[in-house]
Amino acid sequence: MSTSKSNVHAHKAEIFCKDESRVDWHSKALWTLREKRDRAAGSIPEWEQLRQIGSEMKLHTLTHLTEYLEEFEQNCIKNNIKVHWAKDGAEHNRIVHEILAKHHVKKVVKSKSMLTEECHMNPYLEERGIEVIDTDLGERIIQLAEMPPSHIVVPAIHMKKEEVGDLFHEKLGTNAGASDPLYLTRAARQHLREKFLSADAAMTGVNMAIADQGAVVVCTNEGNADMGANLPKLQLHSMGIDKVVPNLESAAVILRTLARNATGQPITTYSSFYRGPQDGGEMHVIIVDNGRTDMLKDKILAEALKCIRCGGCLNTCPVYRRSGGHSYNYTIPGPIGIAVGAQHDDTNSIAWACTLCGSCSYVCPTKVPLDKIIHHHRRLKAEAGKLPYGKSNYMPLVGKFMASETALNCSMGIARMALKILPGSLLKPFSGAWGKYRELPVAPNSSFEAWFKKNRG
Amino acid sequence: MKIALFIPCLVNQMVPEVGIATLELLEKLGHQVILPSGQTCCGQPMTNSGCFNEAKKTTLKLLNAFKGVECDAIVCPAASCLVAAKENFHEFDDSPEAQAVIAKLYELTEFLHDVAPIPAFSKSFPHKISLQMSCHGIRMLDLATPSEQMGPRKNKFEAVLAAIPEIEIVYPDKLDECCGFGGTFAVDEGAVSAKMGKDKAQAHAATGAKYAVGFDPSCLLHIDGMVRRQKLPIETRHIAQILNAVL
Repeated sequence: MSTSKSNVHAHKAEIFCKDESRVDWHSKALWTLREKRDRAAGSIPEWEQLRQIGSEMKLHTLTHLTEYLEEFEQNCIKNNIKVHWAKDGAEHNRIVHEILAKHHVKKVVKSKSMLTEECHMNPYLEERGIEVIDTDLGERIIQLAEMPPSHIVVPAIHMKKEEVGDLFHEKLGTNAGASDPLYLTRAARQHLREKFLSADAAMTGVNMAIADQGAVVVCTNEGNADMGANLPKLQLHSMGIDKVVPNLESAAVILRTLARNATGQPITTYSSFYRGPQDGGEMHVIIVDNGRTDMLKDKILAEALKCIRCGGCLNTCPVYRRSGGHSYNYTIPGPIGIAVGAQHDDTNSIAWACTLCGSCSYVCPTKVPLDKIIHHHRRLKAEAGKLPYGKSNYMPLVGKFMASETALNCSMGIARMALKILPGSLLKPFSGAWGKYRELPVAPNSSFEAWFKKNRG
Repeated sequence: MKIALFIPCLVNQMVPEVGIATLELLEKLGHQVILPSGQTCCGQPMTNSGCFNEAKKTTLKLLNAFKGVECDAIVCPAASCLVAAKENFHEFDDSPEAQAVIAKLYELTEFLHDVAPIPAFSKSFPHKISLQMSCHGIRMLDLATPSEQMGPRKNKFEAVLAAIPEIEIVYPDKLDECCGFGGTFAVDEGAVSAKMGKDKAQAHAATGAKYAVGFDPSCLLHIDGMVRRQKLPIETRHIAQILNAVL
């Protein structure tokens, strides 16, 4: 990816911001989820305890990861599940393709997997003649629109129902101009039902992998993981190494917070536990590292792996809501996207797409210290000489300038004078983004220090 | 008490009226107030950007201004700068002298709530004010329970102001959403910062309040620029200015 200005977050966000009514609509849609989350979280008195337990449980698992993954693998094998290990996305895709090719699979129905997005699996399989059909409604919409997801839980949140109507008219033959969500959902369901019935294999992501059970849990609201996994004989589940939890009790903690924090539901409509293949079938679990072990080596970055992918941080993030998911240069947008994706961001800009307001850290059901991780990423980038566009030029100057009273006093004295005597129209071009969007400050006569010397000195 | 003022660069250079109000109100409360010389900036613009090397000289300069200064407390009328100073001092110097300075650091609202509460007000303030719940103060300095957190709620900022006779306190929609200033974010991410500031300014104005009142001058400066660009019928004030007016 080029590091030219056109790829940086700020530039993409500026383009998104040009249509202010769309920004308002986008922000409102996501804030509604935050409000629902607040009501759901507030409805259980032990919410903050659940967050604390969730955080400690995930941290415990991450610090004993090898043991729990081995226990999970052993129990999977006992349950007649085939376990595969992939060090990165390429290896994951190769393993998946080998399994599918061995069974002469031509069509796969897929549900709930940001990991396969992270590995760019769909194009890989499609190039090898295998059709991959995303079966979550939102996922299917963006797949038909040939776009990446813009949110991890509501991936088509950036599209208005009228746009979905036009897309379905073109791709699924629905009535022109139809935008009634019920009508469009029914059309999508009928379309997907045909795909489910004709698929050769099913694939899902994994919300939790339960070590002492050798089972995986997949949470969906549409029941499509079950529709997929229960029809064809071959089922595949892809999971990051961070998805393992010790036992059913720990999984229950996450089940209680996941949907509440995501959409305000008490629990997802379907929380499906898969603990072995169907009669005469095969069940495969692919366990993927893809950079996670590297993150574990850094104590601060490691905490990002406590994330359970509820999307709550995206919904609360004032920057994400106003810049859209596609501005982040990574599969996962928003605060958690920066936390787990900044090291993959060649534009070195997404770490700065944040005001460090901290709302995400307080919303998080497992207390991932997102603002601290983002801040840490900035430091790592700066130390590696990878400051974003512009900043690398001015920041050393700011450092020198701020350390000198004389320089600061002289220049600010001149600035105050300029603000007083020069017309705003003359100053605006020199005041950068500040003056482009805001009125310049009303300049005081003197500094506080000068006032103090005169009045109290 | 003997109080040393920590006046951040933004207050010193651009909003001295906040420094003056802070000084006057602390004096009215019977404190002896001094202004240690040699203060420039807490280093936040640099450390927030990840540039710790660039921040070191500035941060240590500020720390040295307070080292060995005889006082009971160091009070700052800017929450974000206070948080940054605390963290940055600790980052660059963990000597006992630095620890002694860090232990005395208070944000103004925090000081007036936790350390030396205001005994009585001499005047009333018969106006509606909309509280600007700036992020670093509530989420990093514990001035109020953030809206994301469940359970019992506290709000030191409201508590200090609510004691003023006849004052009416309201909150903007999305009461503690970030205003979008974020230091260099306002410049680096101009479009998003401006949209956040615009929304915040409009939310304050929509309450019908006469003033949007905050404890962080940087957020207030940003919101003020937005208020004036939008020509909204509201003005920004720092908590020190409101308190100083009724003492």
